[in-house]
Amino acid sequence: MTTDSAAANRTATPAGRCPSRRLSIRWTVPLLLLGFLFVPPSASPEPNTARDLSFVRLTESQYRRAIHDIFGESIRVDDSAVDRGARESGLLAIGARKLTLSATELERSETLAQRIAEQVLHPRRRATLIPCIPNDARMPDDECASQFVTRVGLFLFRRPLNFDEIRSYVSMANAATRTLDDFYAGLHASLVGMLVAPDFLFRFERAEADPDRSGRMRLDAYSRATRLSFFLWDSPPDAELIEAARSGTLLSPAGLNRQVERLLNSLRLENGLRAFFSDMLGFDEFATLTIDSGLYPKFTKNVEDDAREQTLRTIVDQLLHKNRDYRELLVTRETFLTPSLAAIYGVPLARSQEMGGAVPWVPYRFADDDPRAGLLTHVSFLSLHSHPGTSSPTLRGQAVRENFLCQIVPPPPGDVDFSFVQDTNNPDFKTVRQRLSAHRENPTCAGCHNLTDPIGLTLEVFDTAGGYRTTENGALIDPSGEFNGKSYEEITGLVEILRQEPTATSCLINRAFSYGAARTPTTDERVWLEDLAAELRREGLEWRELMRRITRQPDFYTLGTDA
Amino acid sequence: MIARGDLRRHIVETATIGACFSLVFLAAAESAAAETRGYVISMVHTATYADSDHCPMGGNGGPVELRTRRLIGAGYSESEAREIMLNDGRDDEGNRVEEMQLFGSFLRQTWGGLEVNPGNVPYLLPDPHIETAEGRFAPGFNLDGRVDPDDFEDPDTNEKGIDNELWRVIGCFDTFHVRKPVRAYNENITWDAVLDGMPAWLISVSGEDLSRDGDVTVTFDRALNVALRDASGGFLSGATYTIDSDPRSHSVFAGRIDNQILTIEPGDFSMQGESQFYAILRLTQTHLRLQMRLDGSVIGFLGGYQPWADYYHWLAIRGEVDGQIDLPGVYYAMKRLADGVPDPATGENTAISATYWLEAVPAFHTDVSGGVVGVAVGPGPKFSGPAVSEVETQAGQTEAPQ
Repeated sequence: MTTDSAAANRTATPAGRCPSRRLSIRWTVPLLLLGFLFVPPSASPEPNTARDLSFVRLTESQYRRAIHDIFGESIRVDDSAVDRGARESGLLAIGARKLTLSATELERSETLAQRIAEQVLHPRRRATLIPCIPNDARMPDDECASQFVTRVGLFLFRRPLNFDEIRSYVSMANAATRTLDDFYAGLHASLVGMLVAPDFLFRFERAEADPDRSGRMRLDAYSRATRLSFFLWDSPPDAELIEAARSGTLLSPAGLNRQVERLLNSLRLENGLRAFFSDMLGFDEFATLTIDSGLYPKFTKNVEDDAREQTLRTIVDQLLHKNRDYRELLVTRETFLTPSLAAIYGVPLARSQEMGGAVPWVPYRFADDDPRAGLLTHVSFLSLHSHPGTSSPTLRGQAVRENFLCQIVPPPPGDVDFSFVQDTNNPDFKTVRQRLSAHRENPTCAGCHNLTDPIGLTLEVFDTAGGYRTTENGALIDPSGEFNGKSYEEITGLVEILRQEPTATSCLINRAFSYGAARTPTTDERVWLEDLAAELRREGLEWRELMRRITRQPDFYTLGTDA
Repeated sequence: MIARGDLRRHIVETATIGACFSLVFLAAAESAAAETRGYVISMVHTATYADSDHCPMGGNGGPVELRTRRLIGAGYSESEAREIMLNDGRDDEGNRVEEMQLFGSFLRQTWGGLEVNPGNVPYLLPDPHIETAEGRFAPGFNLDGRVDPDDFEDPDTNEKGIDNELWRVIGCFDTFHVRKPVRAYNENITWDAVLDGMPAWLISVSGEDLSRDGDVTVTFDRALNVALRDASGGFLSGATYTIDSDPRSHSVFAGRIDNQILTIEPGDFSMQGESQFYAILRLTQTHLRLQMRLDGSVIGFLGGYQPWADYYHWLAIRGEVDGQIDLPGVYYAMKRLADGVPDPATGENTAISATYWLEAVPAFHTDVSGGVVGVAVGPGPKFSGPAVSEVETQAGQTEAPQ
């Protein structure tokens, strides 16, 4: 196969000069542009309407996993190629469908791609990652370059590259090889081109007519494989899943079930679980979390990292290792702690001799009469929904409503005067309960605060950093409250009511479907999801079963535009 | 005194329950059961009390004065020595003066034509007769039970007969000529540097009801873990430490709490460190006076007779340049002023009366099997350890952090 391209400017560099093994910026940029402009975007027939084509930007973790899956864990991915994006309907995953790539992100992607390509094509990795050896390492080699592009492209784009795509990337490689007298510099150029291609940075979802449902559309096999894999593993499809897509078996119920079971029984299911709950719980906000260390010296950067990990580790343990019902997460006293976290929780934690070693995670169960029960009492939740120097019943109540019950709390009007609520030195209103009670006398404020504050005021027994307390400014904190007509005396009462709250089940199921499909469900799908919620409320809301039910549902593999 | 085994059984049964309430100060708790509160030592340094009348001759100065004296000792006139110091260690011809060269962390000295390390062999060098501290006040304890004419008076308690000859030896060097809340510069940064790699030092106090006056048991142990820091760089209150069962760092004292002041009956103290400065802290006739504060922390003084060679070696390891101290001068002064534990053979005193400032924050203690043997009580101070100094002055005012 000859793939010389007229685009390659052979005269630009004198023959025999090879100033650097590393592809220079001077050549990278035009070659990248070449990749962006001339590489065909798809191997499929040309879908071009919102009805049959959509795309979702990879998240940071998905980008990272893709690189590690394809090239190995030893490839360092130092920076984030993409911004965290915008949350929509409670999930970044939904916002990701509406995201494009800014010029800054493209530039960052290119820099990151350069670093990854340097590592992939490093001499010590070539024997593993390059499927062939060129006849002459200073000359273009169509056959070897083609093998590389075909193999890597299959996993990067999550589908086979078509003839034109292969030819374009090989041409790019050849042009760079001639310029730099280095075959591997040529592969470097083509790999960078693929890493910044929209087909890698975005999940292209292509729909086709569904032969089993007249008038309906469905994702094609590769798009189905991609959605399934990112949903369950937070990773691109592996070779077996791509093969199931290529052979078409993934489109049959039996073939789909086989793959779903395989994915559900993989250890990588944990990655998908972590990614989903990180999104649902808004853990991306940790990137900008600020807690006043002067007021809360126990809240270190380590605690911040540990707090997030504590919650995710607890979720994995409960839902995957112990197959517990999701609702148990709201009340469980079982968790894992590090020494730094234990100090915030105020509990002893025997630690091993970790001198210089990794931070040990220790399984821990809070005592039955301890106020700590469930995710709402974790440092992650409490600190993430606080102000830097004070706790916030409103933010915490809002987070419970929005994250766990899928309710919407409107933002406050722009002209609200918060000075009274924020005056923690007012001797007549020592507790925030007293201050908010006064604030709610304003009818404009009362509507929303009646939604958020009763929940949040119960959580006031935990300070900004998540530490337990009984008083505020010397006055006793009253943690009692009422939720949906049911009264309770303290936090354990509230979380038990929430555990039994049907909306909590519906919310999780709705969020899970939306996360996997990267869109909100259609009206028909909502009906199905509510039926599923009713079933699982009776049968038990185990994570694997929920994943199984969703991923076996044909509606999950649509763009949601044909209902 | 409550046996540790009995205490542990009780604590194990109740600690998990009690622990979640541990951030609430339990001073008012009505309980007849024994309790053990745990602490981790967050700051320890030589107690100092610099005053205007302590060094009437002007003191021993710091590195500049030390180098100047060395030049004079080498034969330069005082004016020549000062000129060399101003000229970055060079003579008027621009040549580097040999006596200004460093020998490791020491100023170069020779003996019999050989280059020697004054830290290792101070006795080969002449006694420079450093100025020693005088004055009325010095923190500490009356170790010998007598009130001698040259004894100090404690500035906090106004107790007479205070034995603190260590202060007398070092008190006129600039680096030690400070008083709280200022700490001796080198000790502060040394503690800051070593605590991330040195097993933490622990205190536990056991008694029937520590919120009330009464007899207690005070135990010092070393941990198997290094200290944990908080966001300010100080010590993390409420962290958990496992007690090292090594008896070389295990000291038990009968003690008493009166008006939230913790004291002990004199005894022997020993604590091993893993740092250049705090390699080992050994005391006989050990005294303790700690204030138990509302936030759960304790601050105060630990004193006794310390083998003077131990302290000298701490200084010698650090060197004259880093330590900003004249080692031969300290060596001879220590020998001269040592006031305790006479050698049975020679009658020469081997120990010197010494006092240390000590701060500790609440901590949980466990034994090696994981059983809780000490409970952290109280939230701890906002600032602790070497990062920030927040100590109370005599007048009870809280000083601003350094």
